[in-house]
Amino acid sequence: MKRIARKQIAGNVPTASMADIAFLLIIFFMVTTKFDVDKTKVEMPKAENRSEVAKGSAYVVIHCLDPGMTGPDCPEYGYKWSDGEMSSIPVGSLTDMESYVAVQLGKDSTTPFIIKADGDTPYQYVDDTFDMLRRVGASDLTLLSDQLTVDDIQ
Amino acid sequence: MQLRKRGEAPEAEISSASMADIAFLLIIFFMVTAVFSATKGLDFKLPKDEDNNQPQDQEEAIFFKVIENGTFTMDGKLADPDDILPYVMEKLERWPDKPIIIYSRRQAPYKTMVRIYDKLVMIKKTEGWDPRKDPNISIPTFSEIQEYIAAFGYNPFEQQ
Repeated sequence: MKRIARKQIAGNVPTASMADIAFLLIIFFMVTTKFDVDKTKVEMPKAENRSEVAKGSAYVVIHCLDPGMTGPDCPEYGYKWSDGEMSSIPVGSLTDMESYVAVQLGKDSTTPFIIKADGDTPYQYVDDTFDMLRRVGASDLTLLSDQLTVDDIQ
Repeated sequence: MQLRKRGEAPEAEISSASMADIAFLLIIFFMVTAVFSATKGLDFKLPKDEDNNQPQDQEEAIFFKVIENGTFTMDGKLADPDDILPYVMEKLERWPDKPIIIYSRRQAPYKTMVRIYDKLVMIKKTEGWDPRKDPNISIPTFSEIQEYIAAFGYNPFEQQ
């Protein structure tokens, strides 16, 4: 008896919609992500009551000038500034920072500010920053913090 | 004379074969260079200069003092962050406008002040507290303390 030869069908993954999926993903990433204006590595203080920072917030960063050092061991602290759009830039002193903040408030008097500082920073640097911000008329602040976890409490 | 029929002109077409490659390249670019918005923090309001920023009398206030080693006292007694809310709420039940002062020494770590403030923010979430009402928290700054010292000759927050 003669057997009928089976017809082989080549395996094929449909790729017609791949470009659509890819573009959908691109749009997703473009909408949901934002570029970090400040990439200074600091060990932020921990808090339970965190809320999303307001859009368009300007950054005042307080960081140790000697990378890797922190707290009272740090020989010198410095400042960085970002208006929330451009990447952060080092600022020589708090007086210079005051000029940047004043210019920003001149553009938009309701600008919210973010204070990003290492948790072990001596309070005097934050205190002087509060004083400076108050002097130039800033009032809305966010103290940037990490989430407090159960491990932190124990 | 009959002309010979020319072959049909090929249809103009933009090649889209590499579109998926370009799209995936863009995805990889966004994934590598962008970060998800993970910036969160504690909301904090600074008083305006025109506000009445008279130093509160700490005997009438709930007084927190942060010292250099990162520990703090609550009305003069060494305390733990978990002690804050029960103690403060007991006082505020009797006097909701009772001032709360957080005073940090200049060399104390910033994180302790944040931890205390974080606990005090929870007052608004406590049962029985009107969430529209802000607790009367004050954080004296260096210049305010200097003004007080200039006027009275001593730092009132170092008395306790």
